[in-house]
Amino acid sequence: MPDKDAETILECDAVWKIFGDGAASALRNLGPDPSDDDLKNRKLIAGVRHASLKVKKGEIFIIMGLSGSGKSTLLRCMTGLHDLTGGRVLIDGVNIADLSDRDLVELRRRKISMVFQDFALLPHLTVLGNVAFPLRVQGADRRTREEAARKMIALVGLEGRETYYPDELSGGQQQRVGIARSLTTQPEVWFLDEPFSALDPLIRQDMQSEFLRLQGLLKKTIVFVTHDFDEAVRLADRMAVMKDGRVVQIGKPEELILDPADDYVTKFTRDIPKEKVLRVRSIMTAGGTPTNDMAVPAEARLVEVAADVIAGEGHHPVLDASGALLGTLHRRDLAAYLI
Amino acid sequence: MTALARYTVAVPGVPSLRLHHLALILALAASWALAFLDRGNPLVVVPQGWIFDLATPLTDAMKYLAREFQIGPVRFSSITRSVGWLISQPFELLAGLLADGFTFYRQDAPPFHIPALPWIGTTGVFCLVAWWYASSRLALWTGLCFAAFAVFGLWESAMLTLASVIIAVILGGFGGVVLGIWGYRKPWLNAALQPLYDTMQTLPLFSYLVPMILFFGFGPVAALMATIVFALPPMARVTTEALHALPRSVSEFGEIAGCSPFQLTWLVRVPAARNKLLLGVNQVIMLSLAVVIVASLIGAGGLGGDVLKALKSMRMGDAMASGLAITLIAITLDRLSYAIATKRPAHTATDQPWIARHALPLGCAAILAVAILISVFVPAMHQWPDELVISLGRFGNGAVQWIGATFDTQIDAVRDTAIVYLLKPVKIFFLTVPWASFVIVIGALGWILGGWRLAMLGIAIFVAIALLGYWKKAMMSLYLVSMSVVVAMIIGTLLGLWARLSDRAERVLIAFVDVLQTLPTFVYLIPVVMLFSIGDFPAFVAIILYGIAPAIRYTSAGIRGVRLNLVEGAIMSGCSRLQLLTQVKLPLALPTILLGLNQVVMMSFGMLVITALVGTRGLEETTLVAIARVAAGDGLLAGLGIAGMAIVFDRYLKALNRKIAFHLGVPIPR
Ligand SMILES: Nc1ncnc2c1ncn2[C@@H]1O[C@H](COP(=O)(O)OP(=O)(O)O)[C@@H](O)[C@H]1O
Ligand SMILES: [Mg+2]
Repeated sequence: MPDKDAETILECDAVWKIFGDGAASALRNLGPDPSDDDLKNRKLIAGVRHASLKVKKGEIFIIMGLSGSGKSTLLRCMTGLHDLTGGRVLIDGVNIADLSDRDLVELRRRKISMVFQDFALLPHLTVLGNVAFPLRVQGADRRTREEAARKMIALVGLEGRETYYPDELSGGQQQRVGIARSLTTQPEVWFLDEPFSALDPLIRQDMQSEFLRLQGLLKKTIVFVTHDFDEAVRLADRMAVMKDGRVVQIGKPEELILDPADDYVTKFTRDIPKEKVLRVRSIMTAGGTPTNDMAVPAEARLVEVAADVIAGEGHHPVLDASGALLGTLHRRDLAAYLI
Repeated sequence: MTALARYTVAVPGVPSLRLHHLALILALAASWALAFLDRGNPLVVVPQGWIFDLATPLTDAMKYLAREFQIGPVRFSSITRSVGWLISQPFELLAGLLADGFTFYRQDAPPFHIPALPWIGTTGVFCLVAWWYASSRLALWTGLCFAAFAVFGLWESAMLTLASVIIAVILGGFGGVVLGIWGYRKPWLNAALQPLYDTMQTLPLFSYLVPMILFFGFGPVAALMATIVFALPPMARVTTEALHALPRSVSEFGEIAGCSPFQLTWLVRVPAARNKLLLGVNQVIMLSLAVVIVASLIGAGGLGGDVLKALKSMRMGDAMASGLAITLIAITLDRLSYAIATKRPAHTATDQPWIARHALPLGCAAILAVAILISVFVPAMHQWPDELVISLGRFGNGAVQWIGATFDTQIDAVRDTAIVYLLKPVKIFFLTVPWASFVIVIGALGWILGGWRLAMLGIAIFVAIALLGYWKKAMMSLYLVSMSVVVAMIIGTLLGLWARLSDRAERVLIAFVDVLQTLPTFVYLIPVVMLFSIGDFPAFVAIILYGIAPAIRYTSAGIRGVRLNLVEGAIMSGCSRLQLLTQVKLPLALPTILLGLNQVVMMSFGMLVITALVGTRGLEETTLVAIARVAAGDGLLAGLGIAGMAIVFDRYLKALNRKIAFHLGVPIPR
């Protein structure tokens, strides 16, 4: 969990992306918020509309939304794969639109990397060749890059497969290669576009755990796109929900569940097992007086403490990581979230 | 987008059905009425006064370009000569290695000669490559073929042809890839290049040769240049297509990894598309072989030259032997390049020793070293001794004479019947139809099939042919092509249907079709000339043989492709076998069969062009004669005439196919 006031490393400020010829002039002429009909008349399609968000150093930031809601487009705006139609994207305070071609290449080589839904492995290279590829592009010599690549391959658990070609691997293994490849350059910001969506449900869960394990080791800043709310809730520190190109709500998963901004968000949150998402801190009675000494940690998820709280009588003390008393929790408070 | 939505879109700009009938009836009536005018009428035969002589100024312009034109202080001719010199260098090197060695002339000493590689060495290398990429079976086949070249005294010619093909494919293939990448990056350029490619791919080969003689002089370099130019468009097309077929994310990955534009192209996109590219190379190899053979007309030498010389002096057996060698080379190159294109990389441990990682080149070098060593002691292993050469030619000449003497009457009977009852009447029809009638019908058909744009294309091309003074020649070409197409379609469809009856029949036929499709056009001329001498009839037979392959293949594939549930439905509703075929399968397979027809037409035009060598009299003859007269303009215009007609038929058939597929509600096959 990143610090509350950790510095912002990536910022989107009123980002617009409209596809089609003459998009920029259309945005200028049609006013600050053109309607779909106006755009359609000019044969334009809006991918992202006025999206603003800030990603803090070291957090897992998830962009969630139905398919076609503009998640991938927003992600591609952040990496400079798309030129913006309007607004700004700042990485480390630098507007990427201001970068020269060479500086953009340099930024991509050093600071950012990306994992793709369809893996995007190069079919003509072995696992080793694929993972070493980003370093090869930078001109690293064979020994250096292969050494780095082997480390990454070991990190994702694919030792022994170095000489395989992508089409000899299962989907899950291929995405492990994709992940290893995106980590060889030790990027600061790691973009993942639906990395697990093409995988079977069981494998997907494995990969999610694996992903959390890696993040525990590496502590990257992560922007992760998914259409799966369960996945988002499981992985997110904070998340943004998108609809029709707009960001409709940004917050911690608990905030979204406890206080959805509109019906669209509510629909996602309704079927989520709340006890697995919510933390004690968000439902406790702040400042109450405990009546027993069976303390519960504030950052624990409800499901983890449910048995103790239900078994105990009265108000349990809620303590933060340093042991300070934050409030109390009664089993009545819990009941609403367990049914 | 669902599959359904994609296929059931209306064909825009096509008028409604009833108007169609009216238009067709009117057009036919008008053209029929024209037939009653006498031949002096300008609508029947194009009057001399209307004809515009573009050929002469065009020839003059090209001659000027080739001889006097200057860019600043530099003569255009010196540029072309330097390009020619540059391209000839790798060719000379390879030809020297494989075929005739290197001779250095010295001032006051006898010339110094380094011989070519020993034949067992070259054979061994090709065997090793075949074994490495394909199988021991292909290696054995390759070995036998190459040994046959040596034993039958065809070694030098075969190697010269091989060297030409290899160099043309390397240069043309590379140029095509670069052009294709360019087209991929700039969509407007690609759109602009498409009609050019279409024309280049249908332009008769002979039309290329005259400008090549002008720019590069008579000889192997001009032939090589013609081959390279010919190979460019298909390779460029394959490249653009292959790059577009890549998943978008592959390019995106390259960008995110921080590739420079150069790296993005050459480290990411091109290698990622390599399988499709290599299949394109396979096509280009076969095409280049066909061209290299025909280019012997302008001095390419090699096997094509041998055939040509033999045909000219009526040594049919020798022509057969060289033709057979061309066939063997074609099959070997096809199988070998296909194997290389589809070979899966084996996984090898990365920390293998250097020797293991370079096993193939080292193996080749070892074979050559051993071969050279052996040939020092056994000269016959270096160059097959002349006195041991088995002359297939002498044997073949005898055989041909025997066939001629024995079956003379039967052969003549077949030929004369076909000419009297089939070819002649159709020819007379084509030659007497008033040109205006023809144009009206073409226009009406075009409008019905694809709207006014298509009609304009058809009308424009045929009017241009008329006004440039090529009408009669064009009709001679068209009659031959149409007759051959009709007959090839009938026989091919029947054979295709027969192939669906039993698996064995299908296997035999497909093997036959495979061989037919690998042979260079030129080879088809040899047996038909042998049997039927020269004229329209042997040309007719050659075109049918060459064009029949797609008719068989597409019929069989079309019937096989009819969806099983439709067939089962028909059986359940009580169709007999014959009903099933005629009422269900054939109609549903029609779009695919028509696609076959389209290919038959294109291939027939391709073969037509070559039949000028056996004495046909249409536009193709003009392109051939233009070579001897170095009349570039005439050759080019006549060639464009053929290309134009081929393109019109291609577009018309495609439009027809779209319509039929639309009516049947089946996808348009590709
Ligand atoms: N290159 C493009 N050209 C035109 N429209 C596009 C392009 N990419 C995406 N779009 C459109 O933008 C919208 C958002 O797409 P996308 O960002 O891919 O959605 P998501 O990733 O959330 O499924 C969609 O309506 C899509 O059709
Ligand atoms: Mg997406």
